[in-house]
Order: sequence, then structure tokens, then C-alpha cells
Amino acid sequence: MTRGWRALDHTADLALSVWAESEAALLAQAARALVCVMTDDARPGPRRSWDTRELALDALDPEDRLVRWLNEVIYLAVAEGFLTRAADVRLDGNGLAARLAGERGAVATELKSATYHDLHLTGDGGRWRARFVVDV
Amino acid sequence: MELRQIDAFRWEIPRHGKMRVPGRIFASERMMADIRRDKSLEQVANVAWLPGIVGYSMAMPDMHWGYGFPIGGVAAFDPDEGVLSPGGVGYDINCGVRLLRSDLRRDQVVPHLDELSIALHQAIPSGVGSESRRKLGDRELDDVLRRGAAWVVAQGMGRRADLDVIEEGGTMAGADPALVSARARERGRPQLGSLGSGNHFCELAYVAEIFDERAAEAFGLFADGVTVMIHSGSRGFGYQVCDDSLRTMLQASQKYAIELPDRQLCAAPLGSPEARAYFGAMACAINFAFANRQVMTHHVREALTSFFGEGPQGLGLDLVYDVCHNIAKWENHTVDGRERKLCVHRKGATRAFGPGHPAVPARYRAVGQPVMIPGDMGRYSFVLAGTEGSMRETFGSSCHGAGRTMSRHEAKKRAKGRPIWRELQDRGIWVRTDSLGTLAEEMSEAYKDVADVVEVVHGAGIARKVARLVPMAVVKG
Repeated sequence: MTRGWRALDHTADLALSVWAESEAALLAQAARALVCVMTDDARPGPRRSWDTRELALDALDPEDRLVRWLNEVIYLAVAEGFLTRAADVRLDGNGLAARLAGERGAVATELKSATYHDLHLTGDGGRWRARFVVDV
Repeated sequence: MELRQIDAFRWEIPRHGKMRVPGRIFASERMMADIRRDKSLEQVANVAWLPGIVGYSMAMPDMHWGYGFPIGGVAAFDPDEGVLSPGGVGYDINCGVRLLRSDLRRDQVVPHLDELSIALHQAIPSGVGSESRRKLGDRELDDVLRRGAAWVVAQGMGRRADLDVIEEGGTMAGADPALVSARARERGRPQLGSLGSGNHFCELAYVAEIFDERAAEAFGLFADGVTVMIHSGSRGFGYQVCDDSLRTMLQASQKYAIELPDRQLCAAPLGSPEARAYFGAMACAINFAFANRQVMTHHVREALTSFFGEGPQGLGLDLVYDVCHNIAKWENHTVDGRERKLCVHRKGATRAFGPGHPAVPARYRAVGQPVMIPGDMGRYSFVLAGTEGSMRETFGSSCHGAGRTMSRHEAKKRAKGRPIWRELQDRGIWVRTDSLGTLAEEMSEAYKDVADVVEVVHGAGIARKVARLVPMAVVKG
């Protein structure tokens, strides 16, 4: 499997480009990418130390859903020490429901929030792409 | 984008498309070449779309690409027609800088920098997710959110005189903890009195050059005198307040039919319940940041007085001033000869009120409000004073720092294999950090030369040079 994301150069902040075969998979991929950035790309720990979480959220539209989802992932990491390593995302109208698998740990790079600025989310058929800016 | 050069320091983006006012940028020709490379000019034009904007959408010379407003952006809004936008304040609400002066001379500290830098590093919790020495209870947190630095001083951490030299007296009015989410409380609760990470720092420096003797004397600064600068904000509390507000503001923008070129500029009319709710929560975050810097000031005073074996009043460690970088507030400004109450947004910009303004503390009123402009950790920082020019042209605002020229990613790449801390130490600057990665991201070359930025604001007359400070010991988050 290819990595599915890369960091783009952005002077003040961090921009990420993410791709996947469906919108739900794209959301999961974006969450993994953010956690990689927050842990300085450190490999996940052994699976036996993993834990799971469930969450659901509402949003105004698909772009808003992406930002809100990423901010949930950031909150779990910085406030609860839960590092999302995989997610099963189900779209639900403009919202979503997700089951997250991850490990307990501390972040190495603090991210403030995902932003709506310069946000692109496109997709059709089996090719979905997003790029977004994160305030570091 | 069409750009007209007005003089050596001023540029204008003429009104086009849905811009309601022109853009006004303060920069030199050389800096403009850099600025043109990113999207920050487009962001200046975007801000001019917002309803009720007065005069110009402005940007200071340290401007760079942000989200929503550019970093370095200043915009003022009419109370009836205008809006409040969390994207004009940013995530780190009331990120800001304070400066302490001392009676210490450079030669008294230079022989001890190794130990002193360790003492400062131990005194201030720093780094990613850094936590304070004690976790606040619910009522204490409410007090912090309502009263800011004043509450910290009442707890015995600081002096009443400190409050006289903090923007808003260290307490932003209108704070309502009931408007803050449980999440923001949980993120902020353990973090009061901690530096955080990224570009935040605590820096011991000396006065290397004085440009304005009278103002320097009023600020308590003298040649070779030792100073301490603290740069930090509202930590996770402010990020969450901003995040929470965007949800409401996106809906409000639809509800009030505010056309947005960038959703991060989402806003609500100043009189609306949505704007009032954000203002009340933002004021809590402003107070959290004032309190945060006040607690750290207390730790610094304790560390330095105990190091030099002096009592708490010893060493003359007086607060010179504390300014906000990310804020929206009500101020009176003269526009076209008429005094008007306006809501001024400063995002990565500093208030710089001129001589005679009633909000400038009495002891500085003859020379203007102190404005501290931190540079990078390897070069220097500046102390400026507000001017009549800033009152006339920029709603009493000036620049806030150097501005990055390299992405964090690029800086890390270039620092690979280089012991940045050793390079700095060879130049007499002792750096302490928990993260070598942060050190690489924050290395000197990653920033513009702050002297270039300061020359523009001084040349344009929107602030005046008072002194230059050179770092000796730096605690990095």
C-alpha cells in the first residue's frame, strides 16, 4: 500500500495532500497523516497496546466534515493522549460516524487546528483527493 | 494582483472585484519581492470583502501567508455595518510578548549563562503539551478567565504595578466563562504558566544599542542592561475557543448572507448574538494568556533573584510592557477628522499607541507605548515606541516580529547534521530546549532579518526605534 499522503511546503504552517479510493477512506487517511505529523512520523507501537474510540459528528457540508473530523483527531491526541492509527469511517449525510483504533501516547509536534483556508476536496469514482492547511 | 507603489514604504492594492476598500501594505521594495511569492497579498484583498471595513485592509511588513487574514493583518470595522471574525484574531488568541528590565548589567550575567539558562529552563514549563505546576480547579479557572493577570497578582504572583503596564491592564472586560466549551476548559486547565512549543520562548538579552535615549530611559532601559522577554499565548485554551467559534460563525455567515472569498474569514455582524458570544469567549482566552505570561513572569523573577541571592524586589525586575499580537477589540480612532468607535482586528500585529493617548500608561505617555518586536533567537530583537503616525494611518498598529522566510519542513532539512545549539553557543547564546526538532525549525535562517521589518515601520513613521536587544540565553518551547 502506498503512503497516501504528503506534506506540502507552506511558510508559516503545514499543508497536507491526501488521497484515497473513496471519501470515507480519504477521511481515515487524513487522520493517519495528521497523527504521523504529530508523532514526527514515528511508527505505531505494538497492536496489543491499542485502544478504540467511537465518535459521530454533524457538519454543514463535506469540506466542513473534513475539518471537524480532523479537529476531533487533534483533540483526542493533544487532550486525551489517544493517537489515531486507523479509522473505519461511515459517511452519514453531511456528518459521519467512525470507529477509531489507536494507541496511547504523547504528541511530539503540537498542532493547533485544521483550517478552512485553501481547502480543496475533490473526488469521483475511485479517486479522492484533499489538501488542507493545519495551524502549527 | 495589481499593486501600486506609493512611496519607499507604502503599497496599495486598488479596489477590485468585491473589495469594499483598497489594501494598504507597509513594505520595502526588497521585501515586496518576497511577499509576492506567497498568497498573502490575495489574503489582504480577501479581508477587504468583509462588510463594514473602514479605510483599508492593512498588512504590516512582517506579513506572510496565514489562513483567513494574513499574518500581519490589521482591519477595523464599523459598529453598525461591520463584523467580528475569529479568522482575524487567529487560533492563538492573545499570543503576545512582554518585556522585563533589570538593574543587572551584561558583565554580571555573562560568566553564568550556562547555569542561568538551565535555571530559566527549569523555572518555566516548556515544550509540547507542557503543563503548569498545579492544575486549576473549576472556580480558579473561572477567576483566570474573568480577571486574567489581575487574578494572578492577587494570588501573590507579581506586583500591582505590573498591571499598569499590560494592555487592558491585564484584564479584558466582557469575559464570560459560561460561553466557553468544556473542551476549551479541559485543554487550558493544566496549562496555565507554561510556555508551549513552536516559536514561543523566554529570552535573556542585553541592550546592545539605544536609538532614543529619552524613551529608553522612560522604559527603564540602559546600555548593557539585562532584559527578559517572554513570548507565549493562550495555549490549548485559545485554540479550542477559536475552533469552537468557527462552527457558529460559518453558520452565521450564511444566516446574515456575508459573502466570503475564504471560509476561514467567516464572521458575524458586530451586534449579533453570534458575535457577542465569540467576543465573550475570546475575552476569556485573552485573559488566560495575560494570566499565563504573568505566572511565567513570577517564575522568572523567582529564578533570577534566587540565582543572584536577592530578595523579591531585588534586581529591579520591573515589567516594561505586555502587548497582544492576536486580538480584536473596541477602540476609538479618528477617521476623516471624526472620532469613531471601531472594532480593530490585529492578527500578528501589535498595538502601538502614540504619545498622549490615554490608554498609554502615565509614565510612558510623553514618549508613546512600548512595542516589543522579537527577532529570531540568533540575532536581535527591537523595542519601539508608538507614534502619532500609527494613530493616523494604522489604527494605532505596528508590526509584531520577523516573519518566517522558510517553512518548518525546509528549516529542518537544512539543519540536518548541524548542532544548532552549538553554533549559537559559539556566538555567546545559550539555548535550552526539550526538542532539537523545534530548535531546527526555529533557527535564525528560517526567519527574515527583523531589522528590515523595523526599518520599514520606523521609516514609515508607524513606530519609532528605541533600543536593540541581543540574546544571551534562550529557553525554547
